[in-house]
Amino acid sequence: MNSGLWLTLWLSLRISVSATLLALVVALPLAYINARSRYWGKSLLEGLIIVPMVLPPTVVGYLIIASLGVKGWLGQYLHQWFSYSILFRIEGAILAAAIVAMPLLYLPTRAAFAAIERDMEDVARVMGANRFQLFWHVSLPMATRGLLSGVMLAFARALGEFGATVMVFGIRMNQTTLPVSIYLDYEQGEMQKALAAVSLLCFVSLAITLLYNRSALSRQG
Amino acid sequence: MKRSIAMILAALLSSAMYAESITVAAAISLKDALTRASAQYKTETGESVELNWGSSGQLANQILNGAPVDLFISAAEKQIKDLSKAGILVETTRSIVATNSLVLIVPSESKASPDSVKALADGRVTRIAIGEPESVPAGRYAEQAFDHAGIADAVRDKLILGTNVRQVLDYVERGEVSAGLVYATDAKSAGDKVRVTCTVDAGVHEAIVYPAVVVKTSAKQEAAARFLKYLLSKKGQACLREFGFAPPPEPTTKAIK
Repeated sequence: MNSGLWLTLWLSLRISVSATLLALVVALPLAYINARSRYWGKSLLEGLIIVPMVLPPTVVGYLIIASLGVKGWLGQYLHQWFSYSILFRIEGAILAAAIVAMPLLYLPTRAAFAAIERDMEDVARVMGANRFQLFWHVSLPMATRGLLSGVMLAFARALGEFGATVMVFGIRMNQTTLPVSIYLDYEQGEMQKALAAVSLLCFVSLAITLLYNRSALSRQG
Repeated sequence: MKRSIAMILAALLSSAMYAESITVAAAISLKDALTRASAQYKTETGESVELNWGSSGQLANQILNGAPVDLFISAAEKQIKDLSKAGILVETTRSIVATNSLVLIVPSESKASPDSVKALADGRVTRIAIGEPESVPAGRYAEQAFDHAGIADAVRDKLILGTNVRQVLDYVERGEVSAGLVYATDAKSAGDKVRVTCTVDAGVHEAIVYPAVVVKTSAKQEAAARFLKYLLSKKGQACLREFGFAPPPEPTTKAIK
């Protein structure tokens, strides 16, 4: 492996780990709340979380740029007041990957919370657990497996994100993610050069899928 | 049931095959000019031309990988040479259809305006968009200009690479970068959305030429050569000139070696 590939891998890991954490922070409380309660607008909110799963990533990229770019409805003020623009910044890549990866984290986590037998929680409540203790010591540990599969899938998805990333993060000199570097190598007619990145992504994605499958199967059995 | 599925499949697949038009893969900087030229060509001759845009590198690569292209118009000699090595060009048809120049542009509302390539090294210029040098000729010419000005290292971390020259233009138009290097014709097409601060001296980069050539694997070589001939004709050249392209440096009918 050459140093270019290491830099690419390092940038990809920084983006995908941060994106997974961001998705986790947002999706975990929502999954917990939505598995438990009904409220006005719940289906709409859930729809918004899940829709990037079927939406083309280019649409996600477009929406990010249309809102946070220099000429975006929100971005124009960020630009005016703080000379800030999300384009070509690592935050942009993280946001794009997080949005695309979030449904994969949200769905298994919500399912895991929903599958917890209410009796267990009632017992804890009777024993005097407050809401946070109930979540932290009872519900969360019981949902760990679903949560972990969600985190793994989201990480794999974030690592492989291309369409929204290439729009928002662009292609910066010496700063590309693994999927973007594959595209660039192909464009330059250097299929061989892309082989290392292609193999790496295949390997990581396959490994995560196998792990996910195993945990899903053992849960059933 | 089976038959109707077969018919649907045939309908889905056939449109591309029955089209009588030739397919031209052209550097995206030619977009406006060729769109007009091909429309004129159609009215005059009745022959239709399907245009395919991309960076010269993208297109060359697609052709190498077997894309059904009849005529290729690149924004640099490099891509033509690469294809020539693979032996898939009708060499006798190689001719230059136009030339262009490289300009430095800034967003029109921009206060800072670097008025030379050297000024791009200044700290106030935070982001510079150029074409991705390997596959976008405009980016290659830009890199050569940086090298010549001795600022290649100073600007490296500021570079945002567009996958074609129109993307570079778009970044500048939207004000997402402080400056960009595009062709004079691109800057012209953007009207007052961008401001040209200087024309890069033609001596500091390779000559910006648009070579065109018929592809050997094409089944419509003659039709492709006819369109090429039209582009080299007085009418074709007038159309290119209207969009800011300069004429080829030598007698246009002469194939280049």
